[in-house]
Amino acid sequence: MRNRVREQRTQRGLSQAELAAALGVSRQTVISIEGGRYLPSLPLAFAIARFFDLTVDKMFDPDGEEAGA
Amino acid sequence: MMSFISPRLRKPVGIAVAGAVFAAAWLVRGGPLWWVSIPVVIATAARAVSWYRMGGDDTDEGALAGSRADERQQLVSLRSRALACNLAVVAAFAGLTAAVALKASWWWPFVVILAVAGFGYLLGLSTYSIADEDPANDDEDAGQQARPPVNR
Repeated sequence: MRNRVREQRTQRGLSQAELAAALGVSRQTVISIEGGRYLPSLPLAFAIARFFDLTVDKMFDPDGEEAGA
Repeated sequence: MMSFISPRLRKPVGIAVAGAVFAAAWLVRGGPLWWVSIPVVIATAARAVSWYRMGGDDTDEGALAGSRADERQQLVSLRSRALACNLAVVAAFAGLTAAVALKASWWWPFVVILAVAGFGYLLGLSTYSIADEDPANDDEDAGQQARPPVNR
């Protein structure tokens, strides 16, 4: 599953630690989500989408392949 | 009770309590080996301090040691514990098989381990499955026929 977390985060000039603090998760979890190694729970997926003012389906593409996957 | 303890202190306190109980068991046992309780206390204190220090690390292990794991770290911990339990069951089964083949008298601890693991699994199924939820939420129980998924 492809996601746009890294793209949106870098567009806003945020570090992984800042995004993690805003979402209430660890920096390692943000790294795992960005790398496509961890699929967040539904509440966390909604929190991520809300944080970037996007919908969940805009943030996460189930048909997309993660780069390098 | 644990909520009154700082998250970072929870695991070290748990280690300290377990170590103190184990050391007390050596003292209660008495005899010439009472002194074993001393290294047990020293090892327990060292382990509790090392867990406290690890709890401050910005790593997955640090988050688990500091009782501040997020959902992914909790999932990692859960999977690790499931793997550890599976390995313990396999080892207990191997031990039981060896004990039976050797006609040994030390077969029963393996049976206890397997029984506890089996009971724990059944307890988990009854605690976490949907079986105990309100039947009214189940289409089948409510007399409604489940519809097949719609093909896109």
